[in-house]
Amino acid sequence: MRFLDLLGMSVSNLKRRKMRTFLTVLGVIIGTASVVIMVSLGIGLNGLMMEQYSSYGDMTMVTVNSNTYYGGGQDVDESQFLTDDTMKQIAVLDHVTNVSPVLRADVVLKQGLYYCSQSITGVSRDYLEKIPLGQGELAAADDNELKFYYGNRVIMWFSNEKTGAGYGDNEELPPVDFMGKPMFVIFDTNAYWQTRGNNTESSVKPPKKYLIGTGGVVEGTFRDYNNYSYDIYCDAELLKQQLKTIFRKNPIPGQPTNRKGKPYPYFVYSQLMVFVDDMENVTDVQKQLSDMGYQTNSQMEWIEQAQQTYGMVQLVLGGIGAVSLFVAAIGIANTMMMSIYERTKEIGVIKVLGCDMRNIRNMFLLESGFIGFMGGVVGLCISYGVGYAMNHFLSLGQMMMGVDGDISRIPFWLAGGAIVFAILVGMLAGFFPSLRAMHLSPLAAIRNE
Amino acid sequence: MVDRGNPIIQVKNLYKIYRVGDTRVHALDGVDFTVYKGEFCAIVGPSGSGKSTLLNMLAGLEKPTKGQIVIDKIHIEDMTENQLVEFRRKRVGFIFQSYNLLQTMNAVENVALPLSFRGVPKKKRNEIAVRYLKLVGLEKQMKHMANAMSGGQQQRVGIARALAVNPKIIFADEPTGNLDSKTTLEILKLMRQVVREQNQTLVMVTHDNNLAAYADRQFHIVDGKIVRIVEKAEADRMSGGTAADERMVGGTLDMTAELPEEAVETAEFSASPR
Repeated sequence: MRFLDLLGMSVSNLKRRKMRTFLTVLGVIIGTASVVIMVSLGIGLNGLMMEQYSSYGDMTMVTVNSNTYYGGGQDVDESQFLTDDTMKQIAVLDHVTNVSPVLRADVVLKQGLYYCSQSITGVSRDYLEKIPLGQGELAAADDNELKFYYGNRVIMWFSNEKTGAGYGDNEELPPVDFMGKPMFVIFDTNAYWQTRGNNTESSVKPPKKYLIGTGGVVEGTFRDYNNYSYDIYCDAELLKQQLKTIFRKNPIPGQPTNRKGKPYPYFVYSQLMVFVDDMENVTDVQKQLSDMGYQTNSQMEWIEQAQQTYGMVQLVLGGIGAVSLFVAAIGIANTMMMSIYERTKEIGVIKVLGCDMRNIRNMFLLESGFIGFMGGVVGLCISYGVGYAMNHFLSLGQMMMGVDGDISRIPFWLAGGAIVFAILVGMLAGFFPSLRAMHLSPLAAIRNE
Repeated sequence: MVDRGNPIIQVKNLYKIYRVGDTRVHALDGVDFTVYKGEFCAIVGPSGSGKSTLLNMLAGLEKPTKGQIVIDKIHIEDMTENQLVEFRRKRVGFIFQSYNLLQTMNAVENVALPLSFRGVPKKKRNEIAVRYLKLVGLEKQMKHMANAMSGGQQQRVGIARALAVNPKIIFADEPTGNLDSKTTLEILKLMRQVVREQNQTLVMVTHDNNLAAYADRQFHIVDGKIVRIVEKAEADRMSGGTAADERMVGGTLDMTAELPEEAVETAEFSASPR
């Protein structure tokens, strides 16, 4: 028997009992819609969480810390220093695209009456390129002038040199203008503190102030938060040159010294930032790094935990939806059984007329599969509608996660999977009834009632 | 003994025994007979005689307890259910007492239905269906749904459906059991006519001797045994020519047409019970 003839017979049988077919399909519609909506909510929650994390910073970044504390004069394990050599070692690992040093130096920033004591962070150019600047722009690669890029919340650290009042005291932003006015930077902070105020007896000369240009300011107001909000960034290589010219052979504050109090001939970084090609490989790279003896951090650790939680939520939601689909499957099985009882004679007739037993089974399987298909398609349409309503009219995402975004997301695999699953559920529910139909005796046809 | 041509059905020593509790019921008790190609045979007997059981077994709907059934040189007694379905699809047409048309289909679709089981494309099988519907005189009812037709018309569709697959043999189970006498006559004549024209073989089961008189040969079955076989020529001679037709036209269906004993004797045949 041809497939189209089979399908035609199945469909005309479904048409015969329109109300019953409709009610059975309705069950599948509700079942499919509840599964799809629940799963789409799970996906949406997960997605919102990922977006939230990625808004905080780069998720493919691993922070490497040295195990060795480097102060002065103590026993230090030089082999554990994070240096240019370490960077080279890490750079050759699989999945690592880039390594950036984090060279910190304490400075004092001054603009007019306002000052702040902060550490600046020297990083690679690749890292600088990732910083989302709201004002100004990244200097050209061949620009050899040291420039600072300020975080959008750095302005809050400034306070009045005379009164000592800062943002924390009066909730007024200091009138510091990074882009418009010149910023003076004192690198030799020890000398600064010793010569500060009226301490005229000090033998130390007041340190030199350097005028350092502002490259840009991170996007957002001082109320917004992202990964770059609190730091002042600059190019690590240019910072090294600057520090060398200022301190010459003297120890640089923040850099380790050997037992004799002499500085090492190379720079030691406080951290390294390792960039990984894909989020999925972050954990892998992190493991390799900790095997090498470094302490590592990444956002993935948090995300994985959160993802596990949301995975559970998704499972529970999907399970709730699946219950209604299961009930719908029982409905299909019931409908098919009824239909077979009703058509016992007819099945007998077509069997006498030579309809293959497999064709009879397939006819019923097609019928129940078709119920599943119709329910699946309509259920999916309803899911899209409900999802759209939740995303656009209720803004549940804002309510539950505090993030703008779609809370119900139906990716292509979910849509396709839902229809295939509905068809499978239909066929599965129709399987035993169809076997029963297949084995009905043809004698029923010639029995005359 | 005249040469009757090719045997199409050969039944040898056929038994069907049902167990009802501890007792064994012999529905068929050693039946032997042969049907030849192009014949119109009637299996006649009162209810409970085993005639329907015999027909079911010939059509492969029930399995015999013992014995052989050879149809078109094929043994069907040991076939599996799947093989029997295939056997019916390829070789057998069936006419039912209650017509058994599919209510969701019109006349053409009903006639074309068995062809669809053979995988004949829709266009072709509808052409064939139309041809056979014309043959049974239903030019005007082609598109009528099954339940919008009279009993006679439905049975005509049933006949067309049985013919459409061009079977080796057609079985008819009380084909006129639900029809009035006038329609019964029409249907019987039609069956005899198309069977002759198409050179088909028809085996009809009936409890009515008058109807059986239309057949070329009658197998009378009582208590699971064939008690006598009557040739049409003899039956006609006994009752004076076109007896059956006239009696039918008289409209007295219930009238018994017991044949004289001597006719039975002459019709006695090798296939009679031992």
